[in-house]
Amino acid sequence: MGFGAVLVISSRNRRFADIAVSSSAQPVSHNGMTGAPLECAEICGRTLVERIIERYAAIDCDSISILVEAGIFLPRFRVEHANVSIETVKDLRPAVTRKLDEYLEQGIDHAFIQWADTYTETDLLDVFCFHRESKQTVTPTFDSNGALALWVVNCEKAQGSPLETLLQQAGRASRYFIREFVTRLSHPRSMREFAADMLRGRCETGPSGRQTRPGIWCDEGADVHRRARLVAPAYIGCGAKVRADALITRFSNIERECCIDSGTVVEDSCILAYTIIGICLDLSHAVVNGNELFNLERDVAIEISDPKVMRSTATVHKLLFTASELIEAIENKAIEKDHKLSKLHPMSQGWQLNGSLIQE
Amino acid sequence: MDTRGPVIVMELPEQLDRAEVKTFLTELQPLLEEERPSVVLDCSKIQHMDSAGVEMLLYCLEQAMKRDGDLKLAAVSPASAVILELMRVDRLFEVFETTEQAIRSFQVFATPASAQTQPWYGTSQGLAELKAAG
Repeated sequence: MGFGAVLVISSRNRRFADIAVSSSAQPVSHNGMTGAPLECAEICGRTLVERIIERYAAIDCDSISILVEAGIFLPRFRVEHANVSIETVKDLRPAVTRKLDEYLEQGIDHAFIQWADTYTETDLLDVFCFHRESKQTVTPTFDSNGALALWVVNCEKAQGSPLETLLQQAGRASRYFIREFVTRLSHPRSMREFAADMLRGRCETGPSGRQTRPGIWCDEGADVHRRARLVAPAYIGCGAKVRADALITRFSNIERECCIDSGTVVEDSCILAYTIIGICLDLSHAVVNGNELFNLERDVAIEISDPKVMRSTATVHKLLFTASELIEAIENKAIEKDHKLSKLHPMSQGWQLNGSLIQE
Repeated sequence: MDTRGPVIVMELPEQLDRAEVKTFLTELQPLLEEERPSVVLDCSKIQHMDSAGVEMLLYCLEQAMKRDGDLKLAAVSPASAVILELMRVDRLFEVFETTEQAIRSFQVFATPASAQTQPWYGTSQGLAELKAAG
């Protein structure tokens, strides 16, 4: 007996750019991180996908399979876990069914199926035990806000059944009610709320890095000017720079390689990775990704065309990263003629040297 | 004034105007000149605050930050909260409901929240035990 987990990253999960398009008069272009669903964006140092994997790894899940819909950018994980495999697929539903059949062949009887935009801190072993005791094909989960995209499936009973049929069966099955912390990343607002919850310590998962003083988390290589003011709680990500006289306040998180220039105020905001914010700006109640800004108070998205005000360096970083990896690999003579770089990074899909990256 | 360990707690007067500010600063200034001053200002009694009061708060914060210290506000009265919010000064400070909370915030590093409910099977039991049982 054992159990596996199938984590699904679908392009149907909300993307920052989609929300921006639907909210603003001016269409927002897809570039950099915007092409990825919200769960693939780092929040307080790690993506929601990585946090979900950590929970499955913590209960010694036999196999964790991440099914990523083709074309989605998935950043590299900070910690590599055993038994984690990433597979890029064109059609997710048949892929889930196939994965369940594979599990059965490997002797794994039960599997969690989870959409990666849903994060819960429930005791997964307890969910599993409930499912096993109820002896049903599929066990759906609920919280106070309704159904969650998390199911437990008996691989043997579900063998060959399409995912749609399984989910229909779930409607008639006994439900597992989750009382613990749950977040659904369906909107930039939920992203902001999740960051604030982590900084307030309302959930088990927390910001990465270490606390330099109570309530201030600074990740590796974060550079905060002596004259900058950080009001706790706040998070400053890997390699992020906060220049002189900047103010980071009210549960704000500044992600990887961001730069907050002199005199700028960031209040109750998420600044997503690789974003440069210009001097003397006042950002409040916003989620910023490159040159796209989503104001949560007014529920409006705008694109800033002036790169001096705000811009993204995501593409540059990806290319630099890939180039440095390539050089390193050549030096180590690790690349054979017919080998792709992807084989060197089984945990990473997003950083692979592939067609889509070259196109960018 | 109350000094609890390394944290200095001071109660701001009812009328925080130019005259009161001068008297208050005379008392606080030497404390701000110490190494890494940790100051909590109790704002519960404030009934009236003018620009001199706001300026004094900013001055004290600047002085504390210069020496790697910090200044926090506690029990902010409704009258002072309005002024601080209108002048958008409130976001510069960490604000706490009580003085005790403010003092604790200087000392306690946040830890991740623990599980909200205890599992029925006991914390020591993991997948291996479940496998053995099933």
